[in-house]
Amino acid sequence: MLLKTIIRGGTIVVAKIYSACVIGIDACEVTVEMDTAGGLPGINIIGLPDTAIRESRDRIKAAIKNSGFPFPTRKITINLAPADIKKEGASFDLPIALSVLLSEGSIERESLNDYIFCAELSLDGRLKPIKGALPIAMALKKLGKNKFVLPLENAKEASVVKGVEIYPVVTLKDVVNFINKKITIKPHESDIELTIKRNSKYRVDFSDVKGQEHVKRGLEIAASGLHNVLLIGPPGSGKSMLAKRLPTILSEMTIDESLETSKIHSVAGLLSPNRGLTATRPFRSPHHTISDSALVGGGTNPIPGEISLAHNGVLFLDELPEFKRNVLEVLRLPLEEGSVTIARVANRLTYPSKFMLVAAMNPCPCGYFTDSKHECHCSPFQIQNYLSKISGPLLDRIDIHLEVPRLKFEHLTDKRRGEPSEEIRKRVDKTRSIQAKRYKNDTMHFNAHLESKELEKYCILDKEGEELLKLAILELGISARAYDKILKVARTIADLDGKDIIESHHISEAISYRSLDRNLWG
Amino acid sequence: MGRGNRAAGTAGEMAALKFLKGKGYRILATNARTIFGEIDIVAKKDDFTIFVEVKSRTTSSLGPPYLSITKNKERHITRNALCYLKKHKAIESPWRIDIVSVKLDYNYQVEYIELFENAVEDNN
Repeated sequence: MLLKTIIRGGTIVVAKIYSACVIGIDACEVTVEMDTAGGLPGINIIGLPDTAIRESRDRIKAAIKNSGFPFPTRKITINLAPADIKKEGASFDLPIALSVLLSEGSIERESLNDYIFCAELSLDGRLKPIKGALPIAMALKKLGKNKFVLPLENAKEASVVKGVEIYPVVTLKDVVNFINKKITIKPHESDIELTIKRNSKYRVDFSDVKGQEHVKRGLEIAASGLHNVLLIGPPGSGKSMLAKRLPTILSEMTIDESLETSKIHSVAGLLSPNRGLTATRPFRSPHHTISDSALVGGGTNPIPGEISLAHNGVLFLDELPEFKRNVLEVLRLPLEEGSVTIARVANRLTYPSKFMLVAAMNPCPCGYFTDSKHECHCSPFQIQNYLSKISGPLLDRIDIHLEVPRLKFEHLTDKRRGEPSEEIRKRVDKTRSIQAKRYKNDTMHFNAHLESKELEKYCILDKEGEELLKLAILELGISARAYDKILKVARTIADLDGKDIIESHHISEAISYRSLDRNLWG
Repeated sequence: MGRGNRAAGTAGEMAALKFLKGKGYRILATNARTIFGEIDIVAKKDDFTIFVEVKSRTTSSLGPPYLSITKNKERHITRNALCYLKKHKAIESPWRIDIVSVKLDYNYQVEYIELFENAVEDNN
């Protein structure tokens, strides 16, 4: 859009078109200024562009010519303002092309002050999808704009934002004709609630899992109180299968949650053009060779990592001891804070990362220590070594340890299906509303986030329960750290049971979820 | 080799002049000298001052003639052009560099002639 044009000898010398770039998961306005001058013809792009933007001059040239417009034989200087922010990505192709067309007179001079243009150009003049259309659309009002011209593929995600007009376009020629009022484009509209409802179906269900009732119960408790879980079992016992189904029993995403997660996915380019928003809780399972900056986010121009992609969902770390130690250690702070701040020389960004951690591991290097049917070849030293790869502080943040036994033959051949996720989710939702009511005046929302002071206030045991817990501490050698965990988990179990006071059977079940503390092996 | 390279060049330039005139170029100067060297043809068309580098060849064993315009050669032409503009106080006016590529046979007859408009761009 042009704010001001200076006419010199019949051609526009300075033109301005507005665009936006993504910083973290927010957007900021970028003004594309164009100046033409005498001199050897060529395009020069300034304003801290990255290589993708510098290469855009070749895309723009081809796209303009192939759309049937003349390309000016002049020295063109493009400035991306503000000049001190690093610009990256190809989404400035369209605004740069428009400013060039403006100088050539292919675009009639008209106020484009309320428009934001973002798109990558292909050589034939088509518009290609961009990353971060949703955060830009959400920031539009703040930038004082209300019209957003973008590629068709990004229209669904951006159009959930109310109060802005989203114009989906297919080619550069269409954009020019639209500005010149030769064609009209209907703003894309969609209803956010409907979009979320349509996208909130999971492809997997707990009814697919046969047997393993004990593990399912454990996951139900974990989902209710948002406790982090460690699954321990021999290979092939279904740890990954169970973990993958955990998002299906977490309560449905609210609009705010969905928008937040979608924003991160939009920046990472993970949103599919057909779906628009992420409305199922994400399940991310990075491979154990992942680097620390890929996990928490990073890079010279920071991008969100796996923990942010798992925001409002589940982060599953399969083969936990195989992860590099420094990778696991960087998880500690985000687990506490629910967000991660990436500081670089140029800028510091904060990505939200509220996720539920589910880890899986074998009980020993060969994997068969707890398997009754298969002999384990590992020496105690090997097992000790294997388990010690997971540091105490990380283990400290995992409330529930679940042993996943080998599947019994009769379960495998059983034709009956298990309990569907929807039924389990109803119980989880109920427990969550109990917690919401109890913690309405507190900062936390879930049992898992209770601190020791609040534990005293909210975890009241009956007499038998207290006796049992005392006995457990003395007899099983349970540490102070484990004591807190047992209380938290017992609180969730009691909530599931609909009880205010924690009873002895709640305590005993909670103790059963602390297998690593009970020194069963190693 | 030495035989007639200059002759080929002259034949090429003559052919290029004729060709450009046919295209509507108004010739301002040929072999215009500057302190850095020479510009084959200076012409004017549609407000543009056009500096034309003519490249002639009699053999195609090294590929088409225009391929011998290297980056270094481009820089050289640009410098010459700027010198010329400065001398004629026309540095603010629009200008460009064209290349005419002339393929000659062994009798210096034109086999084919090609024009590349705006062949040198300033992409720093």
